[in-house]
Amino acid sequence: MTFLNQFAHEATEEVQADLFTALGIDWRLLILQIIAFLILVYVLGRFVYPWLMKSVDERQANIEAGAKAAAKAQEAAEENKEQVAALLDEARKQAAEILGTAKLESSEMLSASEKKAQTTAERIVANAHDQLGKDVENARKVLYNDTLELVALATEKVVTKKLDKRADSDLIADAVKSSSTKAAK
Amino acid sequence: MPGRISRRRIAEYVATELIEAKTSQAKVLQQLAAFLVDTRRTTELTLIVRDIEFQLSQKGYTNATVTSAFDLTAATQKAIEAFVKDKTKAAHISLTTHVDPSVIGGVKVSLPGYEINQTIAHQLTALKTRFKKA
Repeated sequence: MTFLNQFAHEATEEVQADLFTALGIDWRLLILQIIAFLILVYVLGRFVYPWLMKSVDERQANIEAGAKAAAKAQEAAEENKEQVAALLDEARKQAAEILGTAKLESSEMLSASEKKAQTTAERIVANAHDQLGKDVENARKVLYNDTLELVALATEKVVTKKLDKRADSDLIADAVKSSSTKAAK
Repeated sequence: MPGRISRRRIAEYVATELIEAKTSQAKVLQQLAAFLVDTRRTTELTLIVRDIEFQLSQKGYTNATVTSAFDLTAATQKAIEAFVKDKTKAAHISLTTHVDPSVIGGVKVSLPGYEINQTIAHQLTALKTRFKKA
């Protein structure tokens, strides 16, 4: 047992002494690498990180500004949406009013035009009646005058045929007598 | 150059000459015709004859022109003379008769300044014009 412990102890020491070697690490190189790392960290912290952070901050600020603007735009859009809705409602109301007015006006115009047409038709009918009456009256006059002419012509023909010298003498005697009576009066 | 003699004076002269019968009727009428031809007043003949008739009627000599469709009988002529005498109160009446079938019947008596138309043609015309509607 002791042998084994001793063997293990020796073996551990060897292992510890040669651990870096066994792992392939050169402690001097490790130190150099640590130093180089620290230098790198310093350089980065000194020159790169501030610029990088600044860029990030600026970007974040831009993003926040964009977000704010988007929110504002969203609000504005909401507001505009309400305004648009209000305007649309107003426009619909106005359109309805205009439509109503137009219907009323068209109805009035239709009524007026119907009335006018009726008046015109009545006037035309009245004129036609008047004209017809005048035409009938004229026709009657023409007929009367024609009849008169015809009667005169017929009388002339009959009298010319029937009147002889004796009858004419009697006629003349009557005419002279009649004229004498008139003159005496 | 003598002035223009009026129709009235010519008519008076001719009427006087015809009534007084100093010159023959034919001679007086020849003088009148010559005068009218000479003075280029033949267009006034109708008017002068009418004036002469008027002057004669003023002096009691009336000439009545009678137009009828047939020849007048003696009785009819007498009746017309009596009528004219009564109407004009003239001392002397002479009738000039014309036969015109267009008057159809009746008589038309023309006196200076007066006319009586009792012809059938005239009465028919009067009928037509009086009762004709415009």
